[in-house]
Amino acid sequence: MNVMGIIFTNDATLGELTNKRTMASIPFGGRYRQVDFALSNLTIAGIKHIGIISRHNYQSLMNHIGDGEEWGLELGEGGLEYLTPYSMSTSATYRGKLESLYSAMDFLSYGDKDEYVIMIDSSVSCNIDLNEVLSSHIASGKDVTVVAKAGIANGVKPIDLAVKLNKNGEVADLAVDYAASEEYLASMDTYVVSKKWLIKRVNEYIAHNLYHMDRDLILGGWQRGDVSVNVFQFGGVALYNESVAEYFANSMSLLDKDIRMDLFVNNHPIYTKVRDRVPSYYGESCRIENCVVADGCILNGNAKHSILFRQVTIAEGAHVEDCVIMNEAVIGEGAELKNVILDKNVTIRPGSRVIGTKESPVIIKRGEIV
Amino acid sequence: MYFQKKRCIAMLLAGGQGSRLKVLTEKTAKPAVPFGGKYRIIDFPLSNCVNSGIDTVGILTQYQPLELNEYIGNGQPWGLNKTHSCAQVLPPYERHDKKSGWYKGTANAIYQNIDFIDRFDPDYVIVLSGDHIYKMDYAAMVAYHEANGASCTIAVRDVPLEEASRFGILNTNPDNTIYEFEEKPKQPKSTNASMGIYVFTWSVLREALIADEDNPDSSNDFGKNIIPSLLNAGHKLMAYNFKGYWKDVGTIDSLWEANMDLLGKDPAFDIHGDEHTKIFARNNALPSSYIDETAKTVNCFIAEGSVVYGTVRHSVISTGCNIGKNAVVEDSVVMPGVVIESGAIVRHAILGENSRVCRNAVVGGAFGPKEKKKISVTSKGAVVAENTALLPGEML
Repeated sequence: MNVMGIIFTNDATLGELTNKRTMASIPFGGRYRQVDFALSNLTIAGIKHIGIISRHNYQSLMNHIGDGEEWGLELGEGGLEYLTPYSMSTSATYRGKLESLYSAMDFLSYGDKDEYVIMIDSSVSCNIDLNEVLSSHIASGKDVTVVAKAGIANGVKPIDLAVKLNKNGEVADLAVDYAASEEYLASMDTYVVSKKWLIKRVNEYIAHNLYHMDRDLILGGWQRGDVSVNVFQFGGVALYNESVAEYFANSMSLLDKDIRMDLFVNNHPIYTKVRDRVPSYYGESCRIENCVVADGCILNGNAKHSILFRQVTIAEGAHVEDCVIMNEAVIGEGAELKNVILDKNVTIRPGSRVIGTKESPVIIKRGEIV
Repeated sequence: MYFQKKRCIAMLLAGGQGSRLKVLTEKTAKPAVPFGGKYRIIDFPLSNCVNSGIDTVGILTQYQPLELNEYIGNGQPWGLNKTHSCAQVLPPYERHDKKSGWYKGTANAIYQNIDFIDRFDPDYVIVLSGDHIYKMDYAAMVAYHEANGASCTIAVRDVPLEEASRFGILNTNPDNTIYEFEEKPKQPKSTNASMGIYVFTWSVLREALIADEDNPDSSNDFGKNIIPSLLNAGHKLMAYNFKGYWKDVGTIDSLWEANMDLLGKDPAFDIHGDEHTKIFARNNALPSSYIDETAKTVNCFIAEGSVVYGTVRHSVISTGCNIGKNAVVEDSVVMPGVVIESGAIVRHAILGENSRVCRNAVVGGAFGPKEKKKISVTSKGAVVAENTALLPGEML
């Protein structure tokens, strides 16, 4: 089965963390970027023709993915392609996914091998067997398969595409950007369609000034009886990183063994960029408790209930608790951090104190010295 | 096919059995033995090559090559997979004249691959071994060789006089030219120990290899035959002094010591490096490690993918290990994929890849600072059963 993948890198919704990067390049889980999940899920399923659609701030993303070597990809036509505004045929930016697909029509219609297209967003972390989703799509005979997760909608969180099923597992209701109640499933922003169908629909909808995938194509099409929708319910762990609070809570959830195992160990591997860092060194005076620790750290101080990314240095007597500490942070002697997210390359001077709350962690911006 | 001319290529001798590493090399060639948490021994010479701008490396394999070949693959982790760079595995092969077969000695291994070297028309060839742990800028050594107009330059390090009789010793004139090579001399005249790293002018070495092959009495070895014959023929041989950390990890004790040398606030061997001195390795896609609240981690390396619930002191824990609650690991080298179950105690040991120490088992023992340490070793995949002991110095 020939399948192509499209990854949407998504717009920034994580405040200062997405000032200079897309959602796709948000660091997550010590060694990863958000996009590693989508890329690994696609490539493990055997998909080698992948386009990454990005509207802006794509430099850090391109640095991370490079030529796709770590994922077994090759750069170029029929392989991995970056679809930045400059490489697209029409507008410099686009208003919605359908418009971006229309702009990337050259990529979409390349070759005649691919029969199906899997489209994935970059804000949900999961370890999913996409071949299972594809089989479900083919068996259903429907136009679109939406991957969705129960237990996310809670009446408060706005859901991009909320789905209610009837007793027979058929779609009873769809809603867009809606704080749906618990009975709804939340779309994981992962869709399977046939390539021919997608090209036809994109052309048709754009011609009618309809550009929003969830609202115009899926909801609108379904309401008009024009688009049939199959729902694949995902049973594994799915972490929605759509706000700073969610990102913080999801990061901390990796301290839970079951979540860590589901995301990284029990199923297929999640690949990321290789950095060739030395294993982390734990000094004579350190006390590390309940922490996820990436490679290349030098730990002489204390850390508790925290996520430590690559090459974090914690000096003697420093105390880190309930924190997400991104790459290359240097935390000076005796410093104290609680409920803080340190972006990359932050230096905390000896003796400094930064205290946030669980609900609204303090974010220290990339490269800052505090 | 077009081959880019190279100033210098490397030939890496990786075919030795490493029999003194005993059970650790039963199923693995020595250069593929894990080291330092996430590396294998061969990563050191390979990374040194890359960091020295040498992008063409022939790797001579013979003993148990499967794992080593797999590890080297297309050379991608070291960036040796580009149009004009390679990490070429060179196994012994059969020739029409039946003159070949197994590599008879280090010089014969290079002799059998003259065709490979000729393709790149190199000015110099650097010959390396796959069993040393060190960081070295080979480019500086090649520049020294070239500046001195030498036929052969041998890297040497200063060893204590009382230990000099364990090494190949190079006796030099005040200008560092070599006048004599003595293998393990009883009465050493100098403390310049050969590190087994040679830079040759290719045209000279090529000729010497062919002559050596024609000599039926030769054991086809660099130290025993090639170097003395070059000296006899009046060639200029230079000693190149190396001051940094270097360790031959050919024995259980030295492999253990070299791992321990990575630890401490000012480690004997600081493996951290900048962009020009870092050591590259083939990476497994493993998640970050997890250190539980019941864990105690003191003066140790813990590599990615490991999960620690017990106590680790003065040890190297490699990728993908699992250390259970109330387990204690001290003064030990724990290779990739090892499981140490709860309540087990491991001291002064090297645990081979994927071996398992079951609940409440005891491996090794403690020694005083001056006592001779007897290292306990488990082989790849070995299992130390529940409530049993592997005594100090024992192997499984």
